[in-house]
Amino acid sequence: MSKFSLEVEVLDPIGLHARPAGQIVKLVKESGLEVTIGRPGEEFAKANSALRLMALKIKTGETLTVEIETSDEAQAGEIVAQIQDFLKG
Amino acid sequence: MRGLTKGQVLSGLGVGLNAVVAEVFRVAPMQALPEFAKSTKGADAERVSLKAAIASVSAHLDELAAASDDTSADIFEALKFLLEDDELFEVADGHLADGWSAAAAYGLAVNEFAELLGGDPDFDERVKDLQDISKRVQANLAGIKVGLELPKHGSFVIVGEDFSPADTAQFTSAVVGVITLKGGPTSHTAIICRSRSIPAVVSCGEAAHLVDGDIVLVDPVGDRVVFNAELSEATMPIEFIATGREPLVPVRSNIGSLDDAKKASSAGANGVGLFRTELLYLSSSSQPSVEAQTALYAEILAAAPEGPVVVRTIDAGSDKPVPFLNMPHEENPSLGVRGYRLIVEHRQFIVDQLQSLEFARAHTGREVWVMAPMIATAAEAREFAALAKSIGQFKVGIMVETPSIVTQIADLKGQIDFLSVGTNDLSQYLFAADRMNPALGLLLNPWQPGLIRTLARIASESLAAGISSGVCGESASDPAFAVVLAGLGMKSVSSSPSQVGAVKAALSAVAEADAKRIAHEVQNFSTAEEAKAFVLAELQKLS
Repeated sequence: MSKFSLEVEVLDPIGLHARPAGQIVKLVKESGLEVTIGRPGEEFAKANSALRLMALKIKTGETLTVEIETSDEAQAGEIVAQIQDFLKG
Repeated sequence: MRGLTKGQVLSGLGVGLNAVVAEVFRVAPMQALPEFAKSTKGADAERVSLKAAIASVSAHLDELAAASDDTSADIFEALKFLLEDDELFEVADGHLADGWSAAAAYGLAVNEFAELLGGDPDFDERVKDLQDISKRVQANLAGIKVGLELPKHGSFVIVGEDFSPADTAQFTSAVVGVITLKGGPTSHTAIICRSRSIPAVVSCGEAAHLVDGDIVLVDPVGDRVVFNAELSEATMPIEFIATGREPLVPVRSNIGSLDDAKKASSAGANGVGLFRTELLYLSSSSQPSVEAQTALYAEILAAAPEGPVVVRTIDAGSDKPVPFLNMPHEENPSLGVRGYRLIVEHRQFIVDQLQSLEFARAHTGREVWVMAPMIATAAEAREFAALAKSIGQFKVGIMVETPSIVTQIADLKGQIDFLSVGTNDLSQYLFAADRMNPALGLLLNPWQPGLIRTLARIASESLAAGISSGVCGESASDPAFAVVLAGLGMKSVSSSPSQVGAVKAALSAVAEADAKRIAHEVQNFSTAEEAKAFVLAELQKLS
């Protein structure tokens, strides 16, 4: 098991709001992995809760770090790519 | 004793022409939830109760979603997602461990998240959603009912503060009359009752004293509810004597769907005065192709009553969002980017809509007029007219809803063919009274002198500029008000399909000279009540 740390950019004009937060949580739960998201250098939120993600109050234009615990690097890359897609607005 | 005596009159604003007598069914505001309390049965038992309550609320939301249309179903789906949030449960679980009851633990957890999300306008709606699910879970645990539970059998007049779209969607056939304490003549409740021909009196604050089992007369023509009265005491609508004459001005119909177009045809409307097109897009997740739009429009144009069909280009905004147009949340959606203002971001959408209408027009051979909503300046009106004329063989016009455009009608001489007054929005902007705020209903009464005098100005300036003027707001569905509109010089009116017959009868019974005199003299009154009473008395004398 290793931890992958990748960046995503929030392009959605309303920031990380309910819809993308919900999509991320659904994806993370389906993967069964431990995923956390946050601003670099700040406290991260567990991505199994849309409320925790929304409470980060992330706005458009911010860059976020996604951390994923998995031994499968390809899977981590795939998850981050999908999260990036959710944040396109 | 509540102090209500037989025959006592409770004043409000009437909706519709028919009266009804029936038993009151009071839709009570929800019973108060218990205060947060410590558990008496231990954390484990509370955890079981909380899980069961969440499951039960979740199942109830599923039922509500299944019973509603796509847009409302999404709302319930979003509530469910918050309800079942992992962290929300974790935080509540922490409070259970501290000895709180299940209801208190969930309520406290929601309050913490509401606090975290608070102060950010992007999350205002989510905070409301959180409070809503908190209320549902706490009510479930306390055995308190949430939401509307209406009788399915019998005949009842339902009485409540005001009714939301979710509420009116649940009106059963047992609902034969409606009274609201708040909400005005253009409220959602009023529009639904008018279209379903349910007698209603809105903005009736005194109805707060009514309780289950009271017998009341709902007397919309008299703008009143009468306690313990007979149907024979209802105010009779003015009997307009059928003359066989043509109405003073054409009576068109408002439509939003194929079904409406058919109803308008059977009602004998003279064309369509307002075709609301946004309803065709609100449930699409992607923009329909020009071919698909053309097919839809052609079908509706073919079914529309004989005469011109006035089509309004899309009137959406952040409170009435079209899923495939990106519409960010706005603080004041009614004052925001809506109607024609969408052209800045979505020009191609409006071009496609006009192109589809042109194809449908050519295909059906119908006379199509197009107009843009939310026009505030002459420049916008000219821009729209030029765009529409470059795309199709339309008569082109604008909606008059903003006070600013009322002052620029003369500037539009020779540039637009017609204008149509949306009195609902014109009232909202003229009186600075939010249509969605149930406490402001009386300001939106069309008999307000401020509105009537503004309509007089619109009619006379349109006449001078050679622009044909019409009215398509709810006010044109009231036969007496329609006489005033014709008398003021409006060239057409457009009513909901259910009111076309009544409005036509009124406009063919009254002579032009009488309508003009009444419309002139009604402007002398300084209150809505006096203005309406004067017109009704004059029409009574004539009939």
